[in-house]
Amino acid sequence: MENLVVAIVILAIVAVSVTKIVIEKKRGAKCIGCPVSKSSGGCCCCDHSANE
Amino acid sequence: MKVALAGNPNSGKTTLFNAITGRVEHVGNWAGVTVEKKEGNIKKSLVEGNADIIAVDLPGAYSLSPFTSEESITSEFVKKENPDVIINIVDATNLSRSLFFTTQLLELGIPVVIALNKSDLSKKKGITINVAALSEKLQCPVIETVSTVTRKNGLQDLISAAVSVKGKKQKAPFEGLEADLTDKKSVEAADKKRFELVKAIVAEVEDRKTSSNRQTRQDAVDRVLAHKWLGIPIFALVMWAVFSISQTYVGPFFADTFVGWIDTFNGWVEGLLGDRVSPVLKAILLDGIIGGVGAVVGFLPLIMVLFFLLALLEDCGYMARVAVVMDRFFKKVGLSGKSIIPMIIGTGCAIPGIMATRTIKNERQRRTTAMLTPFMPCGAKVPVIALFAGVFFNDSAWVGTLMYFVGIALIIIGALIVVRITGEKNKRSYFIMELPEYKFPSIKRALVEMFSRAKAFIVKAGTIILLCNAAVQIMQTFNWKFQVVAEGAENTSILATIASPFAILLIPLGFGVWQLAAASLTGFIAKENVVGTLAVVYSITNFIDTEEFALINGATDVAGVMGLTSAAALAYLMFNLFTPPCFAAIGAMNAEMEDKKWLWGAIAFQLFTGYTVAFVTYQAGTLITTGAFGSGFLPGLIAVTAMIGCVAYLMKKGEQKATAKSALKSA
Repeated sequence: MENLVVAIVILAIVAVSVTKIVIEKKRGAKCIGCPVSKSSGGCCCCDHSANE
Repeated sequence: MKVALAGNPNSGKTTLFNAITGRVEHVGNWAGVTVEKKEGNIKKSLVEGNADIIAVDLPGAYSLSPFTSEESITSEFVKKENPDVIINIVDATNLSRSLFFTTQLLELGIPVVIALNKSDLSKKKGITINVAALSEKLQCPVIETVSTVTRKNGLQDLISAAVSVKGKKQKAPFEGLEADLTDKKSVEAADKKRFELVKAIVAEVEDRKTSSNRQTRQDAVDRVLAHKWLGIPIFALVMWAVFSISQTYVGPFFADTFVGWIDTFNGWVEGLLGDRVSPVLKAILLDGIIGGVGAVVGFLPLIMVLFFLLALLEDCGYMARVAVVMDRFFKKVGLSGKSIIPMIIGTGCAIPGIMATRTIKNERQRRTTAMLTPFMPCGAKVPVIALFAGVFFNDSAWVGTLMYFVGIALIIIGALIVVRITGEKNKRSYFIMELPEYKFPSIKRALVEMFSRAKAFIVKAGTIILLCNAAVQIMQTFNWKFQVVAEGAENTSILATIASPFAILLIPLGFGVWQLAAASLTGFIAKENVVGTLAVVYSITNFIDTEEFALINGATDVAGVMGLTSAAALAYLMFNLFTPPCFAAIGAMNAEMEDKKWLWGAIAFQLFTGYTVAFVTYQAGTLITTGAFGSGFLPGLIAVTAMIGCVAYLMKKGEQKATAKSALKSA
């Protein structure tokens, strides 16, 4: 019984971590947690050739 | 309603954006910090009638002509997305420079409100601006603002003015300034006319007490801090002080208490589990999840203090001087002067640093900068530095300082090599950077930056690092038949069998054991994992306070458990710092380089650099300390010589390409 409870706790912790990673990735974070690494969603700056 | 914030670099757009939206976007006391547009809702307390207003913070631009990527974002946005109102942030201390861009914005037909920002600083400098006259001349509202204070900052008036002009057609106050953008001469003539016009407006509305020819105190300080020779030892001294405070004195003081809490929590969970729970599950929860994450999180106070100090340095204007000092070297090795900005941003996290390379116009310089930026130790590498400085070098601050300077040296050497490989060694670039004024750094801003970094660190520790440590613990507990490995047979575990082949390659570097190889491998997922994995594989849950250190394998301290000499420890640290960065940063490199050949070349170059630096450090260090070379010297020498040979061959090919190009040109 104790083993089952601990296994569920471990799985719950892992599930929360995975969910957080998925949410952050969907929000465009390149580095999980990093406040300044969101991807450039819809920005028009990526065509470097235009600036050459 | 959508409001665009546009203005010159370092006019305080992001500070104003943060003040009106309540967000905490990174700001820096220098130009070029913002390279992407950011959106946020304006605080309801600033808006009359509870209307929803979205503010868009645009990168700084001197002109609406798209000369650089950040200027093209700004001009594209204001021209194509048609914001309802443009708030033009004008630096009140530098009116003549700012109004050039303003006159262009006024011609777009979109209502403009001018935020005369940094009004407090302009008054301190004895500059008086006739706001009413300026407003009349430009035919748009002008509001004095100070976005760094919470009261009497003019922000409410600014937003009210923006709301009041919505829907009105902005009339261009001047005519005859249009230019044919396809004709350089026409653009130059129009620019000249525009400058004359701005000069005339400034002469009428501004009363400047100080003479620009006089040497100020700031100039005197700059002569020392940005001196071409003195600047470098001063920077070394500053970084040494930063590391001393964060890693030796203040940081460990808080870390001791913090780690005590983690230990107490670990003990509490252990007591809760009792003896009836399976040892395997106990190990996953206690050693893998709590122990592994706790070992990394234990360094949180050190990181917080470090980022607090770095934020103070940036905010007071010192980091911009460092950029000036480094610019001289960077230009000599074919990098852009702008390359220093991504590299300094990279000290926080390599990813935004790499993203910031898009401000560099020259393709080769941009790719080279993206390739070399990860050599600057980022925040994720700080726990690794702190661990090795603490365990092997008695918390010496020189370890962290050395890592920064080795990083800079590798960037310079790397740039020299790349410029020769690409055959563009004769191309020099010029970079004009406006030096921000020195100011007393904002403690609030530094605290915001510190807590923002701390939050990022905790989120990362609770996600990627937690999962990695749990996986490492499971892979260490079981063999490939999924049986629990017996005590003394750890070499048969899944983790050991995966890491062992890599460990063989690391023998010439002084750390050819599977545990250290495994830690380096997980470091490619996130660099903090090096610490977490070491904690799991050596069953050490507390790297900070080892007074009550449990005897493991007969050793009495962490250094003894790892079985590394000082030379090998320094080599291991450098290997983890100067080999390729984490996968997320490699992804950012891929996005900015836009060329697979460059990306794979960059990864190979980083591997070569990390391996060579670690080899030289270990073998030279061992020779100095013991009088003989370390283990695996000959095979290591062969491997390093072969890699150097490959690089030399590519450089020769590049030279031939360059010679052929110049011969073709002269013909």
